[in-house]
This record gives sequence, C-alpha cells and structure tokens, in this order.
Amino acid sequence: MKKSLFMIMLLAASVACADEQVSIGANAPAFSLVNAVDGKTVAFQPADGNLKVVVFTCNQCPYAKAFEPRIIEIAKRFEARGVRFYAVNPNDDARFDIETLANMKARATEKEYPFPYLKDGDSATARAYGARVTPHVFVVDGTGVVRYRGYVDDSAKPEDRKTTGLTDALNSLLTGRDVANNDTRAFGCTIKWKS
Amino acid sequence: MRKCARFAAIFLSGLCVAGNLFAADLRPVKEPAKIAAVFPRAAQLRLVNVWALWCAPCVAEMPDLRAIDETFGAEVAMAGISLDDMLPDASPKPVASFLDKHKIAFPNVYYTGNPDALGDYLKFDGEIPITIVYDGAGKELWRHQGRINRDQTIAQLRSLLRRKR
Repeated sequence: MKKSLFMIMLLAASVACADEQVSIGANAPAFSLVNAVDGKTVAFQPADGNLKVVVFTCNQCPYAKAFEPRIIEIAKRFEARGVRFYAVNPNDDARFDIETLANMKARATEKEYPFPYLKDGDSATARAYGARVTPHVFVVDGTGVVRYRGYVDDSAKPEDRKTTGLTDALNSLLTGRDVANNDTRAFGCTIKWKS
Repeated sequence: MRKCARFAAIFLSGLCVAGNLFAADLRPVKEPAKIAAVFPRAAQLRLVNVWALWCAPCVAEMPDLRAIDETFGAEVAMAGISLDDMLPDASPKPVASFLDKHKIAFPNVYYTGNPDALGDYLKFDGEIPITIVYDGAGKELWRHQGRINRDQTIAQLRSLLRRKR
C-alpha cells in the first residue's frame, strides 16, 4: 500500500514537472522505443558506459529538416569515436500522418540515417526530458548524467554559425573536459504533443 | 464627360483589385537592438510577435493578430519579427507575399541576425510563436508562449490599457 502511494506520488511529480528540461548534472531518463527502420525496440540505458546523444526531431519541421544533414554528419564523425546517437520523434502521428512509423522509416531510409529513428508515440520521452522543440539535443555521459542540452549549432546556416554547441560538447567530453557552454537555446518547431 | 469619368473610376478600381496594391511593411534588421525603431513612439503599449512561415501555429494565428491590430488604434503598436531567415536559402519574398495575402498592416521585421542574439534580447527560449507586450517605456507587461487566443489577448490588452489610464 505504502509502495503504491509512493508510486502514485512519484508519477504525479513526474507529470507536474513534465515541461521542465532535465537539468545539467541530473540523471537522464531511460526509455524503450520502437525503431521505425526495422520495427525493433531499442532500450536506451543511460548508464551504459557510452557517451550518447538524444536528438528530438521529426519529419515535418522545416527547421529540423534544415539541421538533418548536419546531425547525420556529426553522428558519422562521432560514432567512429564511440558516441551513440538516438533520434526520437515525439510528434503525434494520429494528428499528423507524416509522423507515422511508415513515414519515419521512409525518411530514415531516404536520408540514410546512421542512427535509430525512434517513435515516442505518447510523447512521454520528450516530456521526461523536457524537450520543447524539434530539433532539441541532449548529451548523456557514460554514467547516465546529462552534460549538454540545447541546439546542434547556433545557426542552420554554416556561414552564420558562431558556436557549434553539440560538436563542442562532444569534443570536450571525449577529452575528459567539462562542457563550457552546456546549456544553449534550442530554436525550432513546437513539439506536436500527443494529448 | 461624366461617362468618361465613371469609366475611369471603374477602370482604376479594377486595377487596384487585380493588382492587389496592398504592400506589407517588411524591414530587414540584423541587430536586435534596432527592432525597437519599427514602433511608433507614441503608443501606450507595444506588442511584439515572433513568428516564421515554417511554424504552423505562427501561420495559424496571423489572422488573429490582424484582428487585434484592427481592434486597437494608435494606443497599441504592433510589430512582427519573422525568423524565416534562419533557414538556409531563405528569402523575404514569401514572407512579404504572406503578409500581403493576410493584409497585415503593422510593420514586420525580417530578422537576419543570429537567432541566439535575438533570444537574449527578448529573453525567450527559442520556441515560437511568442507574443510579448511592453509599455511605452519598454517595460515588459505580459508575454504568451504558443498560439494566442484572439479574445483573451484583446481582453488582456484592454486590461493593460485601463491600468495605464
């Protein structure tokens, strides 16, 4: 009974805090989501010993699509150094057909995503991370702690780029340094929440 | 003679309709600090709306913003800030066409600067649309993240104006 009450309180607290971004230094939420590419469930274990990037993205947002080649390029570069990437689509596919598993698979295949493209069907993972927009990036270290959150770069235009938030964070963490600019402002399209 | 004058009037009005002579006020701005210059100085309240064509709720609320602009006179000055230039290969042309189509009379900024600098300037987290109301001296009075509700925003502005009187 006490355990049930505790679980209810924990659930209520997590719902109440759903809009808050997971803090830098906090433990990242675990998740298990279906990969649209092969239909298999991918379990994200925060403390698996690997440096990881969770990118909330989608099929419909022009700003997310503008960053897509850049995310693929960064993923290819850093996966060779042991960093694992997870693209998570939290948009409501009941309201937006473009966000269904089939359309996600089509996009991931066409663009040759080098990472799983996971369906966050009830938007619960995005809520747990406090993601607000697409694209919104979180970097989790091998112990499961969030070390960076925010944008990929400060501009989708290479010529206007002044800071490369995600790349800088990964380079710092891979060389054992703290991330200097660990909390940046993610611009993008509002997540189309599953209600 | 009278016949000629009537013909000329009909011809000219036809030209206006066919040519859509409404032209949006869209100004390129690179420095966030220069955005304030688009407002008429005399206004009691200044409303800023940050939007982009790639943002679905932003596009959806544009008729509401027009209605709000038409509800108030010079006491509420409005300005939009388009973030369309954030996308590669962007151009102001579709933004101007969209504003023309919706007959948006208030000025709009086509922001070409760094997005982060604008976020710092307006103190917002990057999620659009966002609507912020300032008093004539630039003090923030109200802000709304996400799509606005037309009636609630009008009521809010009326309430703020009453407090100013």
